[in-house]
Amino acid sequence: MVRIEVEGLTKRYGYTGSALALDSVSFEYDGAGAIGYLGPNGAGKTTTLKILTGLLRPTAGVARIDGIDVREHPKRALANVGAVIETPEPYPSLTVSESIEMVSEFRGGPIPNIAQEIGGLHEKLDLPPLDQRTGRLSKGQRQRVVIAAALVRNPSVIILDEPTNGLDPKERILIRNLLQELKKDHLILMSSHLMQEVTEICDQVIFINQGKLLLRDTVENVAARFQSRAVDVEFADSLPLDRLSKLGALVRTVTPLSDRRYRLAFDGTMATRARILSECVEIAPVVTYESASLALEDAYLSLMQANNGGLPPPPRAS
Amino acid sequence: MDVHRVPSDFAQWWTAFLRQWKFYIRTSRFLGLLVFVLIVTVAFTGVTLYLHDSGTSAADYLYGAAGEIGIFGIIIGAFIGGDAIAMDFGSGTGYFMLVLPVKRLVILLGRYAAAFVATLVLIVVYLVVPLLGGIYFWGVTGIPWVDLGESFLLAALYGLAVLSTAFFFSALFRSTAVSMVATILILFLGFLIIDSVVGTSLGYEPWFSLLYAGSVVGLPLVGQAHHTVQHTAIGAGRTLTTHLWYPYVWEGTLILLAYFVIFLVLSAVVYQYKESKG
Repeated sequence: MVRIEVEGLTKRYGYTGSALALDSVSFEYDGAGAIGYLGPNGAGKTTTLKILTGLLRPTAGVARIDGIDVREHPKRALANVGAVIETPEPYPSLTVSESIEMVSEFRGGPIPNIAQEIGGLHEKLDLPPLDQRTGRLSKGQRQRVVIAAALVRNPSVIILDEPTNGLDPKERILIRNLLQELKKDHLILMSSHLMQEVTEICDQVIFINQGKLLLRDTVENVAARFQSRAVDVEFADSLPLDRLSKLGALVRTVTPLSDRRYRLAFDGTMATRARILSECVEIAPVVTYESASLALEDAYLSLMQANNGGLPPPPRAS
Repeated sequence: MDVHRVPSDFAQWWTAFLRQWKFYIRTSRFLGLLVFVLIVTVAFTGVTLYLHDSGTSAADYLYGAAGEIGIFGIIIGAFIGGDAIAMDFGSGTGYFMLVLPVKRLVILLGRYAAAFVATLVLIVVYLVVPLLGGIYFWGVTGIPWVDLGESFLLAALYGLAVLSTAFFFSALFRSTAVSMVATILILFLGFLIIDSVVGTSLGYEPWFSLLYAGSVVGLPLVGQAHHTVQHTAIGAGRTLTTHLWYPYVWEGTLILLAYFVIFLVLSAVVYQYKESKG
């Protein structure tokens, strides 16, 4: 059984419990796949993940992994979990290999295979030299080491808090490819600010803001529901703005992005979008025609705007 | 992965102990303490032997070293254990360790055992140099081995008591630096002041002081009066009365045992319920 379940999860901070970080959040997932957990800073994402990994205790509600209450039986509940929360740091004077071995020993399993397993992780994650002390690693190297440690002994549930935070583009691609592979037979719950990353990795998404769960659905459904209301069109050659007047009432506004590229705002329907493309092709050869923003990004902004009565609140430390 | 294959608490304790021990002995903190202890103990032994008076017994000589364990034990224990728990909440170590399928108590006891072995190594180094000096002057047969053994056991118990106290204070803080400094200040200056004010000046036996209890370490070698009152003339017909206290061996042992158990339990309770809010 691979299952994550949170039920009525509430978390209050402060001596008087005045700061409400999570407000009766509930969701559950069974089986393999990747779930993106999205929301602005301070929304309650990390708090949820910390409760799921035993780092925090809920004020009310329960978090279960594979049916086992994390608060009541953390050792049993976390037996099948690999987690990277915030910025973990292995003991700085232990080597890369020793740090991963230590996690492996805590999780258990046949010791003779450990060298082989670490070798596999070294290859997959392009780890730094295994005999290097972790205290001397760069942020990106250390992040890859802690991800390797989270994956050692192949836990079925993987919980990641902004896993590519601090990584360079090459490292992000490495992690993205790995997660795309892992989600085939693991249950991954990951928070992220990067909509592109979530779109590429996740099958389902949960939106949360101010401690409340706003939306839970598949990425496809969310994309369909929050169609982008603007497209970027790129012509093969330079094109004067007045040539686009032919689009008429199909578009609400036309914003030049360069002499060949324009952003066209419209009503968001697929029919209008298709007609705009036809018209553009009539005007001049079109090189690219794409949504001005990701569907998830639009969903995120719409949901936050509706929830806050305005734009997403400015980021604050979680 | 099969949930039931998670190792036993004992096996995980052993892992925690071995990895923490490896961590300790590679830190510049441990190596610095080792050098510090070596310098102090070699200097003590050299000076004592240079000023050697044939009338001094081996027991008196060894008491000179063991009797100072109180202060050194506190410095060593505070440096080793001063951030043992705070490291999980002030740095990212907790995010690495506390999400693993292992009980916090097991991690704590593994760290405690490693810290104790590291402390013991430093105490042994501190005592072995004067011992070698003693053997050089009085011969192997001249050394009061039984008393020295008893003294060593008390030093080990003192190390446990200091570590328990240091672990407890480290559990109260989130910053490793603040935890380390606060632990050293509380253990070192705090107990010195308590002993001085309550014991020496006011004349009450400071039976609740760790430092006072630690003075039991050298007592198997050379006995001391439990309570001595000294009157010193300070002019204008006035005298200053000071009190000198030494615990009975049984009493010091009980106090150290109490510190060891009570603060270790308190450390475990605080660690168990402390949250990673950062």
